[in-house]
Amino acid sequence: MTRFRLWPQSLVGQIILLVAIALFVAQAINFSLLLRERNSLTLTAQTAPAVYRIVDALDNRGDRPMRDRPRARFSDTAPQLTGDARPEVERRALAMFADAGLRIYSIRVVEANEPAPLRRWERLRMRAGGDFAGDNRPRRLVMAVQYEPGKWVVTQSRSGGRPPRFGGWLIGQTLILYVIVLVPLLWVGRRLARPLGQLTRSAQQFAHTGSADPVEERGPGDVRDLTMAFNAMRSRIFAMLDEKDRMLGAIGHDLRTPLASLRVRTESVEDEGERARMSQTIDEMNRMLEDILSLARAGRSTETAQKVDLSALADAVVEDFVELGSPATMADSERAVASVRPQQIRRALRNLIENAIVYGERAHVSVVREDGAIRLAVADDGPGIAEDRMEEMMEPFTRLEGSRNRETGGAGLGLALVRAIMAEHGGALKLTNRAGGGLEASLVLPV
Amino acid sequence: MTERPHLLLVDDERSIREPLAQYLSRNGFRVTAVESAAEARIRLNANAIDLVVLDIMMPGEDGLSLCRHIRETSETPVILLTAKSEETDRIVGLEMGADDYVLKPFSPRELVARIKVIFRRVATGGQRVTAPDGATYAFADWLLKTQERVLVDREGVALPLSTAEYNLMLAFATRPNQVLSRDQLLDITQGREANAFDRAIDNQISRLRKKIEPDPKNPTLIKTVWGGGYTLSADVRKL
Repeated sequence: MTRFRLWPQSLVGQIILLVAIALFVAQAINFSLLLRERNSLTLTAQTAPAVYRIVDALDNRGDRPMRDRPRARFSDTAPQLTGDARPEVERRALAMFADAGLRIYSIRVVEANEPAPLRRWERLRMRAGGDFAGDNRPRRLVMAVQYEPGKWVVTQSRSGGRPPRFGGWLIGQTLILYVIVLVPLLWVGRRLARPLGQLTRSAQQFAHTGSADPVEERGPGDVRDLTMAFNAMRSRIFAMLDEKDRMLGAIGHDLRTPLASLRVRTESVEDEGERARMSQTIDEMNRMLEDILSLARAGRSTETAQKVDLSALADAVVEDFVELGSPATMADSERAVASVRPQQIRRALRNLIENAIVYGERAHVSVVREDGAIRLAVADDGPGIAEDRMEEMMEPFTRLEGSRNRETGGAGLGLALVRAIMAEHGGALKLTNRAGGGLEASLVLPV
Repeated sequence: MTERPHLLLVDDERSIREPLAQYLSRNGFRVTAVESAAEARIRLNANAIDLVVLDIMMPGEDGLSLCRHIRETSETPVILLTAKSEETDRIVGLEMGADDYVLKPFSPRELVARIKVIFRRVATGGQRVTAPDGATYAFADWLLKTQERVLVDREGVALPLSTAEYNLMLAFATRPNQVLSRDQLLDITQGREANAFDRAIDNQISRLRKKIEPDPKNPTLIKTVWGGGYTLSADVRKL
C-alpha cells in the first residue's frame, strides 16, 4: 500500500505530481531523441572525412597512375588493421559510398588505440597551458575499402572527440522547467485549494451543528461559481429548514387545539370507562404528535451541550418511572461524565425504558464506562427481537409484530427518535439479545 | 374571595373555550369566558377576577403580553394554556409572571387541581411561588438550574434530578433556613395532603442527600429538625 501513501490525496498535490511526472517523461523523450540525432551527426562527422578521401582517391585514379593520394594508400593485399572495430562507422560509410554511386566490395574500419596527431592549433593551445588531455583527445580512424576484388585503398582520419556529456545539462533544463511550470501551478493550486477547503469546512460544520457560515466567494471563476452555488444552496436549505420548523410549529398548534377541545369535552361523557378510554386515546394521539414533531426537529435542537453525570441522569429518569409505580430499577453506577444535551438524552432513555416496560415486562438500567465511551443500557425480560429485524426496528413507523393491536402501541417512532438523538451526539443506539433472555438496548455516547 | 371564585378564561378557540367554561362552572367556579386579550382587559377592569386562565397563542395581542400586563397591574394569579412544549416557551411564560402553566391537550381535572392549589396558597397567605422562572440558585458548592432541572457541582458537571427531587430541591432553595414539615413539603411539591403512612418525602430527602451531601450519613446541608421536619442550612443566592 506504499503506492497509495506516496500518491497525494489533494487535488493540487495530484495535479502537481502529474505535471511533474509528465514533464519528466517529456524531457526524457526529448533527451533520447536529441541523443540519437547527436550520435547520428557525430557518426557522420567521423565517417565523412575518410569517405571523402577515398572517393577522391578513387575518382582520381584514372587520370594518373596508381599512386598514393594524400593520406590515401592503395594496396593489392588486405591491409592489417589494429584497433577497435567500428561497425557502425562501416555501415554509415557503406551508405555514403552507395549515395556517391561507388560500388565497393568490402569495408573495414578500426579506431587505432593511439591518439591522432594533434593539429597545429591544438598544439598551440596545449602549449598555452590549456588542457586537452584525457578521453576527449581525438583518436585515429583507419578505413580500408576493397574497391575491386583484391584491390584496397586505406585512409586515415580523426575520429573526433567523444561527445561531451549533456546529462547535467538535461537535469538543469528540467529543473528550470519545473520552476517555470510548477511555481505558477502551485499558486493556481492554492487559489483553488483554499476556497475548496472552506467549502468543505462549511459543509462539515453543517453536518455537525446544523448551521454553517456562508463561504467567501473567491478564487478562479469556476470555483467562485461553485462557491456561489453552494452559498445559494445553503441559504435555500436554511430557508427550507426554517420553513419546516414554522410549519411543524403550526401543525403542532393546529392539531393540539382540536385535541385539547376533545379532551375537555370527554369530561362531559357520563360513562366513566368510556371517558377514560377516550382520554387515553387522546393522550396517545398527542404522544404520537409529540414524537413526530420531535423526530422532524431532530438535529435542530436549541439545547446546548453541557457536562452531565450520566449515572445521575439515568438515576433521575428511572426515579421518575418508579414514582409512577413502573417496574424500573437502576443499578449502582459510577459517576460517568460526558458532554451531552441532557433533555435529549433524558428523552432517549425514557423511550428505551418505556419500550422495555411495554414489551419486556420491566426495565433494568445500568451505566457502564467503556473505552472512550459511556454505555447506558436498558435490559428487559421480554422475548427479545429476532437478529434480522433489529436494524428494521430503528426505522420510523416500524413496530414489533402484533404490537399494532396493543393499546399502548404508539406510532413506532420511539427508536427512530432515539437513533436521531444519538446521531446528533455522535453516539449510537445498539440493540442486542441478552444471553439470559430479553433485550438490551444501549445508548453508547462518546466521552 | 366569596364562596364561588371568579375565573376569567381567555381563549380564542371557541371549541376549547365553551366546553372548558362549562366544565369549570360545573366544578364550582364562576366563569367569564372571552375570546381576546382586548376583551379580557375590559373584564379585568370591570369585574373582581380571582384567577385568569390564559391561552398563549391568540391573534392580536397574545397571552404573554396580556400576562405581563396583569402582573404589572395586579396580584391576580395566572395559569397559562400553551400548545407548545418547547422548553423556551414555558420559561418565557413564567418569566412573564404566570403562576403555572398546562400543556394542551390538558386534562380539565388537572387544570382544576392546579387552580385549587393556587387558591389554597392565596388563602393561606402563602407567598407567590412563581415556580421555575429560569433562575439559578447558588448554595454551598452547588448551583440549582431551574431551566434545565439540574444541579451543577463544583466541577461544572450537571446532575439531572428526578421530578420529585427537583421539586423538593426547589422548595428548599426558595426557602433557605426555614423549617419545612413533611406536610408543607408535600403541599409545596405536589399540592396534596400527606397521609399517615406517607414516607415519600423521607425517601426523596435521602435521595437528595446522597446527591448533594459530602457525607450523606451526617448531613450538613439538608438537616433533620426533630419533631419539625427538614431545613436547608445554607445561604442561597439567586443568580
